[in-house]
Amino acid sequence: MPSFSHKDNAVLRTGAVAGQLVRAIWAGAMVLLLLQVMPALAQETAKGAEAYRAFPLFGSRLAVWGIAQIHLNFAAFILGVPIFAVIVEIMGMRTKDPRYDWLAHQFVKLVFAAFSTTALLGGLLLFLLIGYYPKFFSYLTGIFYSTMWIYAALFFLETFTVYLWYYGWDWLSGSRKWIHLGLGILANLFGTAILLISNAWVTFMMSPRGVDEAGKLTSLWQAINNYTWMPINIHRILANIVFGGTIAAAYAAFRFLSAKTHEERALYDWMGYIGNFVAISSLLVLPFAGYYLGREIYSFNQTMGITMMGGFMSWLWVLQAILIGVLFIGSNYYLWLGMERIPGAERYRKYIPYLIMVLAAGFMVWATPRSMVVTLQESRAMGGTHHPVLGFLGVMSAKNTAVNLMILTTFLSFLLYRRANRISVKPWAGMGMAAQWVIFGLAAVIVTFYGVYGYFVESIVRIGFSVYQVMAVLGAIVLVMTIDIPMFKGARSTGTIRWGQIPPRSQYVLILLAVTFTWLMGLMGFARSGIRQHWHVYGVMRDTSVDAVTPALGYAANVITTVTAIFFAMVFFIFWLGSLGEKGKHPHGMGPATAGSSEDRR
Amino acid sequence: MQVPVTLKVSAFALFVMGVYTYYANSIPQLQSKPPEELSLEGGNVTPDQLVKAGEEIFKGKGTCEICHRIGQKGTRAPDLAGVGARAAKSKPGMSAKAYLIESLLSPAAHLVQGYPAIMPKVDKPPIALNRSEVWALTAFLESLGGTVTVKLDDIPKTAGAAPAGGAAPAAELKLPGDPKAGQAVFMGKGACIACHKAGPIGASPVGPDLTQIGKIQTPDYIMAKILDPASMGTVAGYPPGLMPRTFGQTLTAKEYLDVVSFLLTQKGEGPAAKK
Ligand code: HEC
Ligand code: HEC
Repeated sequence: MPSFSHKDNAVLRTGAVAGQLVRAIWAGAMVLLLLQVMPALAQETAKGAEAYRAFPLFGSRLAVWGIAQIHLNFAAFILGVPIFAVIVEIMGMRTKDPRYDWLAHQFVKLVFAAFSTTALLGGLLLFLLIGYYPKFFSYLTGIFYSTMWIYAALFFLETFTVYLWYYGWDWLSGSRKWIHLGLGILANLFGTAILLISNAWVTFMMSPRGVDEAGKLTSLWQAINNYTWMPINIHRILANIVFGGTIAAAYAAFRFLSAKTHEERALYDWMGYIGNFVAISSLLVLPFAGYYLGREIYSFNQTMGITMMGGFMSWLWVLQAILIGVLFIGSNYYLWLGMERIPGAERYRKYIPYLIMVLAAGFMVWATPRSMVVTLQESRAMGGTHHPVLGFLGVMSAKNTAVNLMILTTFLSFLLYRRANRISVKPWAGMGMAAQWVIFGLAAVIVTFYGVYGYFVESIVRIGFSVYQVMAVLGAIVLVMTIDIPMFKGARSTGTIRWGQIPPRSQYVLILLAVTFTWLMGLMGFARSGIRQHWHVYGVMRDTSVDAVTPALGYAANVITTVTAIFFAMVFFIFWLGSLGEKGKHPHGMGPATAGSSEDRR
Repeated sequence: MQVPVTLKVSAFALFVMGVYTYYANSIPQLQSKPPEELSLEGGNVTPDQLVKAGEEIFKGKGTCEICHRIGQKGTRAPDLAGVGARAAKSKPGMSAKAYLIESLLSPAAHLVQGYPAIMPKVDKPPIALNRSEVWALTAFLESLGGTVTVKLDDIPKTAGAAPAGGAAPAAELKLPGDPKAGQAVFMGKGACIACHKAGPIGASPVGPDLTQIGKIQTPDYIMAKILDPASMGTVAGYPPGLMPRTFGQTLTAKEYLDVVSFLLTQKGEGPAAKK
């Protein structure tokens, strides 16, 4: 290492990091070892050994469920955070603002701390599956054996790349910064590849393809590229970014709340804002990815789709809608609170009640239970079996409309926030703003028009409408920003943002968002695997164990809450360990303007 | 003061999750129970027991209720009240029980007017009822307005013969057509391509995508659909009467068989099967 940024703690930190690496490698080696013996195990079980073993105390299913969910949370975190660490690093390179570089480094540090835990949990999950679901797992191994090697190899590559990325931060700075950025991007490519491979296994269980009726493999590529693979890939990548963002923001919130100096508060206020910003940007597109996934499930198997949206799982979507409503409303609220620290923002306060109204209305429509795909017969039959007033709003048309309007509203909040302390000096500013309002209005009209018109056409046509709605919203966002950026270039400032001067309750909102999103991930995990019902591999391999019952929502919620609480406790512990190394570092100027190692570097 | 903040934040997080958990526990709790295997072969059962068993299958393992209702206009499928009586008249020359059995085993062979072909074959995964269960279910359907006459021997031996996870593929119908030549007809003389897509061929959205037609439909259906589109009902979401009715006159017998064979190879497994 040519230069150490934090000389006082270099030794201590090197020791801790080396320990991390050793643990990660150990876990990786265990996985490789298991892969080695797996064919033998598979043969053992094929010889007619038992198909299941019972996990002591609370049963195999719960054991696998819990560990899989915690593993998944960690995995999502270590895949999601690097994506925006890279984005933040790029922003730092472009703006030359050292804060960004410091922030990116902080984020990678968080990832680093979580790395070995993820690997260990993955190894544990593998043990559980082999030990307690031997027959099923040997079947899955038989299909995907070759990809498991690639997976393990990628995991090593990913570990080393992140290691280099993190450790080379100061070494690869200045003119070598590009190499460093390349490492970050490479780490993300490896990470995404890992995600794609494990998604293939999971989605195969849900919508198998590439096997004949007896379950024998006919095409590995088709088994990988099954119906839900691509939609889940997209969905998970987006969700991972949201997740990484909310966790990082929650971390910042925690640091904000326990900060002792104003500088610290300012810094962590800013960090929380960036984390939340990234999360929301990705959250805005997530509903569309969700609809795409739903559509593919329907085209894979009608019965599965209907069971999911209208069958025993229908209430789950009500709960999901509530959680998403909390996310949207929470993030808007955070932006509004944030405006209080911006001089000049009072001008926009009068809009907020209207925004609240749109959000609340959208929320209500979204939370109305109804299946997603409706036939003509259904809409005729509607009335009796549904809520007399809201029932009609529950069809897909209305939901799409509601979610699109909520997205527009959130974007508007963001826009107001953006200009809170700025007054455009461009002579055409008046016209520019008028044009923006017209675009907003048009988008809202288009969305509403197709939403209403959707009731009068058949479902196939209606599904096409949602495309127009999305295009209108995305188009509006692009157009409005195209006007906004030049309009506020060199704008007159009504005062700088007073970072750190935000009410503490805003920080609780960030924590609320992180908790809600993590919980939502647990819920969606339950939906994804519960929808298979009594199948390990849908339509191919039955679950004949004592745990074949798919539990009701209440039970699932209890599990999800327990798992989420354990997850946060573990994260907290890991972050706390990480912070031990930086004790005594705070006092010297960590204020936003001069933050971090980039200053020490010179 | 690290401790109070930690406590406050943890309490807050637990409270939030507590609210979600409470809500989730306060709404209707629906479990999905794995189906029981029922075997009645060889045993003596009274019609009453049979009907009762059938009703349980209808409500449980058969998952019929996600589409059908009895005595209430279903959302996705016809009301089954009185089907035991109505079945005798549904298809000319077919007895009530034969029609009901056909409805269960090859639902697409005769579509109820106005409904799309979404009903799954009940003896195939994912429902995968065995022969006894199909028997009981038929008895139950007969009991809705009719009399129970079905015997186990009425249910084809092949029904449910292929238990999930270790099954021989369903017997495939061999047509004397040539799929290759059929593809040429599809793209050329028949001009089906003007309205349909089949795997990598064509892209027209006018008619339904036929990429999977060989998997989701029976040969009977496809043959009838080409000769007389109206006889098979209209695929949901498409305008009726658009598909030409003249292929019976314009195509030769060989071209007709070829194009059917071609469609039967469309099992949605080609690389272009997924959009
Ligand atoms: C995915 C939805 C769906 C499921 C599940 C389903 N059906 Fe159907 N069923 C339909 C539709 C749509 C029709 C009308 C079109 C047709 O005839 O195939 C129908 C038609 C029928 C008919 C003929 C009705 C008549 O009036 O002629 C019978 C009998 C029937 N179903 C019984 C059952 C039974 C028993 C089950 C459970 C094992 C079941 N269905 C499951 C959708 C479904
Ligand atoms: C003018 C446009 C047009 C042409 C040409 C046409 N079709 Fe169709 N076809 C349709 C439409 C529209 C539907 C859906 C409405 C319906 O069911 O009648 C359909 C439905 C079908 C179906 C049923 C699909 C399903 O999912 O159940 C089959 C099979 C079919 N067509 C085969 C053919 C074949 C084979 C040809 C050429 C010989 C052909 N079609 C030519 C318009 C067309």
